[in-house]
Amino acid sequence: MFKGSGIPGAAIVACVLSSQAFAQSPGCIVLKTIAEVEQVTVNARGEKSTKLVPAGKVVPGVEVVYTVTANNICKEPAEKVTINNGVPEHMTYVAASAVGPGTDIVFSLDGKTFGTADQLTVQENGATRKARADEYKSIRWVFKDSLAAGAQGFARYRAVLN
Amino acid sequence: MRSMGFLGAASALVLAFGVGANKAHAVGAPAGTVINSTAEVTYTIGSVNTTASSNLVSVTVVEILDVTVAAQTANIAVSPGATTQVARYRVENTGNGPETFRLVLNNAITTDNFDPIAATPAIYLDSGGGAATNGIFDGSDIPYVAGSNDPALPRDTFAIVFVVNDIPATALDSQVGITRLIAESRTGTGVAGTTFAGQGNGLNGAVDAVVGTSGADGEADSNYNVSGVSMSATKTQSVVDNWGGARPVPGARINYSIAVNVTGSGTANNAVFTDNIPANTTYVPGTLALNSVALTDAVDAADDGDFAAAAGPNPARVRVALGPLNTASGTKTITFTVTIN
Repeated sequence: MFKGSGIPGAAIVACVLSSQAFAQSPGCIVLKTIAEVEQVTVNARGEKSTKLVPAGKVVPGVEVVYTVTANNICKEPAEKVTINNGVPEHMTYVAASAVGPGTDIVFSLDGKTFGTADQLTVQENGATRKARADEYKSIRWVFKDSLAAGAQGFARYRAVLN
Repeated sequence: MRSMGFLGAASALVLAFGVGANKAHAVGAPAGTVINSTAEVTYTIGSVNTTASSNLVSVTVVEILDVTVAAQTANIAVSPGATTQVARYRVENTGNGPETFRLVLNNAITTDNFDPIAATPAIYLDSGGGAATNGIFDGSDIPYVAGSNDPALPRDTFAIVFVVNDIPATALDSQVGITRLIAESRTGTGVAGTTFAGQGNGLNGAVDAVVGTSGADGEADSNYNVSGVSMSATKTQSVVDNWGGARPVPGARINYSIAVNVTGSGTANNAVFTDNIPANTTYVPGTLALNSVALTDAVDAADDGDFAAAAGPNPARVRVALGPLNTASGTKTITFTVTIN
C-alpha cells in the first residue's frame, strides 16, 4: 500500500520535470529571455551611470529591455537560426530598438507576415502608408550565419509599458 | 565584424532611451497586470528542423498615482456681495489603479484682488460623487467631508466637484478673486518616482505605488470676475404752451426726455425703464418714443414700449423694455409728452 502509492508519485514528478525541460530546450539551442530596466545612479562626484537591473515591477511609461540569448550546446553548428518574439501585451515596441549582431531583423504587424521597416504598410482611410514602429506586433531575428557549436546568439529589443 | 555589430547596437540603445524618457503616456496597463513574454527559436541541424521556446519572463505593472483637476467654470461673472457662487471642477484619476483623493480648497491666492468667502460647507460632490453625476449644483449634491467621503475613483474615471463661495460686498468692478481646488492622492504625493512600497491597489492584490508626473496631486483655479453695472437716467423737460411760449399753464404740453446710460464692465439684463405720468398731467397718446423711434401705446409684439392708464393705487405710467444693456449699448433716450390739466 505504502510502497504502491510511493512509486507512481515519483514517476509523475519525474515526468513533469522532463516535460518542462523539454518545452524550454528540446535540443541543441538553449533559449533564455530576461527582462530588465535601466537604473540610473549618480555617484558621489555627481557622475551618472546607467545599468540594467532585473524588471520585476514596472511603471507605465518605463522601457523594458528584453534580451534573448541562444546558446548552442551541441557539437554541431545550427543552421537557419531564427529568433521570434512577440511584443508583449500592454507594451509598445520602441522604434529602432531591436538589435542583434549578425542578424537581419524583420517585423510583423500580425505575427504572420514579416518584412523590413520599409516593406510593412498599413491601409488607412483608403490610402497605404508605411507602418509605424509602434504598430509592430512581432520581431524576428534571422541569423545570417550558422551558430557554431558553443556559440551564443544575442537579440535585444525594448518595449515601453503603456 | 562582430565587435562592429555591437558598437552599432550600443548607439541604437542610447538613442532609444533618450526618446522614451520624455514620452508622455496615457494610462494603459492596469496596476497589477502581469505581462508575460516568451521567445521562440527555430533552427536546423543536419536536416532536422527544431523549434524551442525560452523561459517565460514576467513583469508586474505597479500602480502609478496621477490626478488632474480641471476648472469647468474658469470664469464666473459675479456682483459684489453675491452669495452661493458655484465653481465646477472635474477631478480625474489619470493613474492606472483605483485611488482615493483628498480635496482641499484654497481661497487665499495672492495674485488676485480679493479672497472669495468659502461657504459652509464649501465643497460638494456632484450627486453620487462618481458615476451618478449631472454636473448641476442642485441640492442633491453631497457635502464633502475630508477623510470621510473622499472620492474613490477607479482608473480613468472622474468626479464632478462643486466649490461654493460668497463674494465680499467690498469687491469692486473688474476685480478678480480666485478659488483653487486641490486634489491629492491619499496614498501619498511627492516628486515623480516616489515609491510607496506595497501601498498600491493591483488587480490581484497589493502592488507598489509610484508617484507619476502629476506629483499625485492636481489643482485648478476658477476666477470670480466682478462685473458691476450701474445705470443712470437724466431727465430733461421742455414746456410748450398754446401760444408758442414756454409757460406751464393748463393745456400746455411738457416734452420729457430721459437719457439712460450704463457704466461698469457688466451687463444689465432685462433692463426696464418705467416713469409715472406726473400728477395733474395727462399723457398724450402716441408720443412715446425710444431713440426717436415711435413706440405704440399698446402692450404688443410690435415694440418694447407701452402706456398704462391709472388703475387703482397705480398711477398712469409709460414703460420701455430696454433688454440687456452694457456700455456698448450707447445712450438710450426715451421721450414722451403730457399736457397740463
